[in-house]
Amino acid sequence: MEKADKTTVIICCAGMGTRLGIGTTKALVDISGKPLIIRQLEQLAEYDDIRIVVGFDAERVIQTVKEYRQDIMFVFNYDYEHTGTADSLRRALLGANDIIIALDGDIVLNAHDFQKFLKYDGECLGISENATCEPIIADIENGKVVKLRKGIGDVQWSGVTKIKKNRLDGQDKHVYDMLNKQLPLDYVGVRLKEINTQEDYDKAIMWYENGCCD
Amino acid sequence: MSDYIFLFDMDSTITRKEVLPEIAQKINRLDEMRRLTEATMRGEIPFRTSFLQRVEILSDIPVHEVNKIVSEIPLNTAIVDFIRKNSDRCYIVTGNLDVWISGLMKKIGMENHCYCSKADVVDDHIAKIVSVADKELIVRQFVQQMVTVGDGDNDSGMARMANIAIGFGGVREIAPSLIRNIDFAFYDDQRCADFLWKLL
Repeated sequence: MEKADKTTVIICCAGMGTRLGIGTTKALVDISGKPLIIRQLEQLAEYDDIRIVVGFDAERVIQTVKEYRQDIMFVFNYDYEHTGTADSLRRALLGANDIIIALDGDIVLNAHDFQKFLKYDGECLGISENATCEPIIADIENGKVVKLRKGIGDVQWSGVTKIKKNRLDGQDKHVYDMLNKQLPLDYVGVRLKEINTQEDYDKAIMWYENGCCD
Repeated sequence: MSDYIFLFDMDSTITRKEVLPEIAQKINRLDEMRRLTEATMRGEIPFRTSFLQRVEILSDIPVHEVNKIVSEIPLNTAIVDFIRKNSDRCYIVTGNLDVWISGLMKKIGMENHCYCSKADVVDDHIAKIVSVADKELIVRQFVQQMVTVGDGDNDSGMARMANIAIGFGGVREIAPSLIRNIDFAFYDDQRCADFLWKLL
């Protein structure tokens, strides 16, 4: 892929998994024998500039990641309890390449769909159905995402984003607030499961073992 | 173009091996050196106390021999390449002794850009320690905006003072006290250097 060297991948793992009740950050939950963060990194093998934002349980996340791959940049956000997701993303932008691929450390991805998203020529959002019980909804008009919001709807956005770095400015608290100013954007369907609750986790495991299909 | 100056720890940041244990190995006193070094990195013994004890362990070796060993220690080549090519903006801040590291500093082009501890030498042996470098105090003197790179407990002070604090864990684990005070961490020499280049 021609753009791998012009792209920075940012995985946000700073938040903790209190609702999941396992006392660790969600990036380390076991997905059929491997930590979730490793499942994600396996799908990003061709990227050089990968940055992982860590906070809660940072040392364990780092230890797990560097046993798999050493050339990762770790970005610290110990204020994750007081700041929103946008703050984690902003901290990781220093010296980044022109194109940013952002994802959260709590999603299990369908590998085929995710590769399609990565190879998509241009800015886009990854959207899905039934990703979690507590989604951000993506409103779609004329083939583009026109609004991201909390609430009820069929199509969800779980943080999977490809966008130019210079469009991620401003002091918004949440990434979806930041992105709302940049809409409309293209989208790519990416089947995934977001892990927020125990129920999410149980569903994600079944889904993963079913080949990442509903 | 930024105004940052770049301050580097030496041991395990510039060097790909730990310097004092490497020397201790030559006189079969590695075990006691390792115990002291580990306790210091964990912050259990203050750097000054530990450093004086570690120098004592190595005091039998002629200074010129230590200097030669240090100057031949393998280096993190990508980080050193960044330092050589940007020598006007880079400084070494180390607790190590001037008389031991002068060869290495010359080799990487930092002989006039080095803040370190100092010793008097008589008959090619350390006669007395004159000063033990306090990295936080040294770093306080800088006027420019700073990027710091280090791995040890005694790098925490300079990390707190820095505009951008980087931990480098490619040689040994980043000290727990330091990891709470850094903005970024790297475990790969080349990736760390790639990032430094972007901060120029």
